[in-house]
Amino acid sequence: MRRKIIRVGSSRGVLLPREVTRAMTWDFGSEIELNMNKEKKELTLSTIKVKIPDEYNTDMMNEIVEILNENADVLGGIDD
Amino acid sequence: MTNDQVQQVKILGFANWLLARKFGTEIGIRDTNAMENVVSLPGGGSLTCFLGEKLSNRRDLYTQLGWFVYYMISGEPFNSKNRSTTLLMLSWCLKYYQMDYDIEALRDFIRNMDPMKQGNSDISLWFSSNCH
Repeated sequence: MRRKIIRVGSSRGVLLPREVTRAMTWDFGSEIELNMNKEKKELTLSTIKVKIPDEYNTDMMNEIVEILNENADVLGGIDD
Repeated sequence: MTNDQVQQVKILGFANWLLARKFGTEIGIRDTNAMENVVSLPGGGSLTCFLGEKLSNRRDLYTQLGWFVYYMISGEPFNSKNRSTTLLMLSWCLKYYQMDYDIEALRDFIRNMDPMKQGNSDISLWFSSNCH
């Protein structure tokens, strides 16, 4: 995929296409990792990997996320 | 707090963090004593229904949920989204116990619940009447 470097104020920026941000689940304010390889002239963008401590029940956490996504309208209907 | 109670606080904190982030409200625990009350039961017991070890009878579950809802709503341990966090965790728990319930009726109950007028036994009764 080719992108042009654009001017953002006095800096240089690259716009990320929507399909990329969707696939990577990046949103405004998301922090990402930049890795530069000077010799190869390569720059990679990657999601910051957070290691969840072993004592967390990740299955349960995923189930909670799933319920939140399935019922966002209902859960958002409580004004507190 | 016991290790189990710390685990439950972490799970509740995670649920609250998800909701606060999704709806753009303030993240974090407001009152640590209120938080400790949520994962404690009167008489030195502790909340266990969010630990993945199934309670053997429904009456114990309804009792625990009654105390959980009462302390979450009366104590407001989080900076925001206390009622929504309550509803999200109840939804997880009722699904985990494979119980039939109407999430909109549960939402209305949680939204309108007044801890000055309704105690833990009223809440337990609501669960026993509306979740099967």
